[in-house]
Parts: sequence; structure tokens; C-alpha cells
Amino acid sequence: MNATALPEPVTLGCYVYGVVPIGTREPNDVEGIGDPPAPVTLVRHREIAAVVSEVDTGRPLGAPGDLLGHARVLDSLAAANVPVLPFRFGAVVRDVEAVADDLLAPQERQFADALEDLTDLAQFTVRGTYREDRVLRDILAERADIARLREQVAGLPEDAARYQQIQLGELISQELTARGQADTARLLDVLAPLAARAFHADATADQPLYASFLVPHDRWKGFEHATEDLAADWGAWMELRMLGPLAPYDFASQLVDADVDAEGDGSWD
Amino acid sequence: MTVAPRTSHYLDRPSASSLADVVDLILDKGLVIDINLRVSLVGIELLTVDARIVVASVDTYLRFAEAVNRLDLTQDKSEGLPELMQDMQQGGARHKTRGALEGVKGTVSDVIDHVRGGDDEDEGEEPEEQQEEAQERPRRRSRSAATRRERDR
Repeated sequence: MNATALPEPVTLGCYVYGVVPIGTREPNDVEGIGDPPAPVTLVRHREIAAVVSEVDTGRPLGAPGDLLGHARVLDSLAAANVPVLPFRFGAVVRDVEAVADDLLAPQERQFADALEDLTDLAQFTVRGTYREDRVLRDILAERADIARLREQVAGLPEDAARYQQIQLGELISQELTARGQADTARLLDVLAPLAARAFHADATADQPLYASFLVPHDRWKGFEHATEDLAADWGAWMELRMLGPLAPYDFASQLVDADVDAEGDGSWD
Repeated sequence: MTVAPRTSHYLDRPSASSLADVVDLILDKGLVIDINLRVSLVGIELLTVDARIVVASVDTYLRFAEAVNRLDLTQDKSEGLPELMQDMQQGGARHKTRGALEGVKGTVSDVIDHVRGGDDEDEGEEPEEQQEEAQERPRRRSRSAATRRERDR
């Protein structure tokens, strides 16, 4: 209206964090994206509601505060034991009418079913990092070939050793990956039985262990204690970090997809 | 009655996720809104970058080689208490780097460069183009590749 009076007209969009069941309380005490953050509200459609806030579409999205705000809103719902289907960061729709009519209405059944599947479940994510000195010493003690190569490299001038350096690093990288796979499997053996569903990322040398679990509300404490016990057992050589309760970032797509195609394996325990 | 003390000091259990955690937790995950519905935003396509794929590269290998070369094997294996405490707080170099992220003010592409770059003191190395630091560039992976990966899970 008085946009002509402004040097740059502010264009507003509707940022969508996720979808929740209709009974959910307005999450107006949590700060979402934007600087300053706009109030977080609900857009309702029959059985479900979208969690949204107003966003200036002229501003680049993706500052650290935006990423943290996105997660903060979704995780606060998860912490309150509200089932929530997270959208991928950066989902902006024209206005609240479009959210209700074009986003929620056409997929109402799928969203409602997936939310029902999520009742009483939240994601917990466990990440592991090797204590580098310790694990490298272990590798040298166990792998004679690597120890030998290290000796060779040490005896060569730096320039001449480049190829061997790369080879040495590659062998270590492969060994770390193999250890990550084995430790991921051990972690899943212990923690997956406590969860409704488990997911893990493929181990790499840089990220040897990343696993997420959908944990029933009444097992949150027990799950944490089991993870603490593992951390104590492994503490000398690996540091475990546990995040949660979180929105089910690692499970949302599968949950909705499984409801879409009937033949999806949807193997729920 | 007192319960046996939990060994919780072994488990790193932050009450709120750090920026580096959030990057790994949320980017490329979650439900995708139909493209026809979506309002396009400045720079948003950068967010399809998969920050979690760590490309095994010459640089990565050299980093591990350097770490193992640095080890002093004559030294007694047990760490002293101060070192151990430090280890627990920092969880190695990777976490140190990541901790440094907290103060970063920038867009997500900067964040990703920092998270991926690790401790890149020796910039003379290169060559892998994926590892080129910090310059503005188009997104690194196509959306379709990222989407497919997600579906393969």
C-alpha cells in the first residue's frame, strides 16, 4: 500500500518449519528465523497445522541465526513431545492461504498418517569422534604395513615422499573408515533395540559414527543412560556426543514416502 | 537414597545444538516443498549443497599422514591428566575447528566451507576443486543427485 514510500519494498513470504497435529499449542514462546524473528504461529487445516513465521523474501536466507532458528522451533516441539514433520530448511510459500490450500490440503492424509506414526517419538542423534592420537597409535600397533610405510616416509625428504605420504594417509583413512563401520554396528546393536527406528550414515574417516534413533517418550531416560554407558566404555578412544530430543530430520522423508506408496517396505517395529 | 553416580562426564551432552551440529542435522533433510509452491529466495539454492559428504581427497589423506607422522612413539602412551581433560572438552582437532564456528557471521555457504575445510593451514596444496575455499561459486552438486541420495537411504 505505502510500498511506494519505501526505497525497497519489503516482500513477505511464509516460512514453513514443519507440520504438527491440529491440537498443538501455538509455539509463540520460541524464536524462529529472521532478524528480529517474527512470531511463530500455526496455519490450520482440518486435522493438521503448519508451523510458520513471516519472512522477508528479499533477504538472503541461510545466516547461522536462520539455521539455528529453524532447528530451535522444530526441536522445541519435539522436546514437548509433539509429533512434528520437519520441512527442509528454506521452505517459503507465498502466504498463509497458499500454505493451507496448496500445501496442507492436498497432502492432508499423508501428513496426518505420518504424524500418527510419530506419536510419542523423538529423534536422538549420536555422533562419535575418535581421539586421534589414541586411534592412530592403535593403528600403528596393529597394522605392520602402515607402521612400515610411516618409517619409510620419515626417512625421506619431504618433497620426495609426497606419493608415499598420500598412500600412508589413504591407508589410515581406510582403516578409520573400517573402524567407524564396526563401531557404528556395535552402537546400533546396543541402542537400536531401545528405539522404534534407527538410521545411520555411512562411516567415513572424518565422520566415523553418525546414527539417529526414534525413541519412545517413556524410554528417553533409559536411552540416554545406555548411551552414557557406551560413552564410558569407549571413552578412552572415542568421544560420543548425543543430541536430542530432536525433530525427526533423518526419518521424515521415509515416513511420508512410506505412506505414499503402498508397497514401500515401511518396516515398523 | 543415592543412586550410583552416572558416568555422564564421558558423554558430551549439549543442552542446545551447536551451529555445526545443526548444519549436519538439518541440511538436505526433511520434507521438500513442491517447486511450484515455493517462493525462491536469494541464495537458497546453495542450501542444496550436501555439507555432510566428505570427499576423500588428497588433502584429506595428507592430513592423516601428517597426524601420524607427528606422533611421538617413544612417548609413554598414557596421557597425563591435563591432556586428558583437554581431550574430553575438545574431542580432538575436529571439534576445535568446529567450535570456532560458533562466532561465524555469514551465510550458509561460508558455514559449509568452514565445516568442510577442517584445519586448512596449508593452502598451498590444493588441487581437488571441491576443496577450493571460500570463493563464491555455483552450487556444487545438482539437486537431483542430492535427492537421489536421500531416497537411497
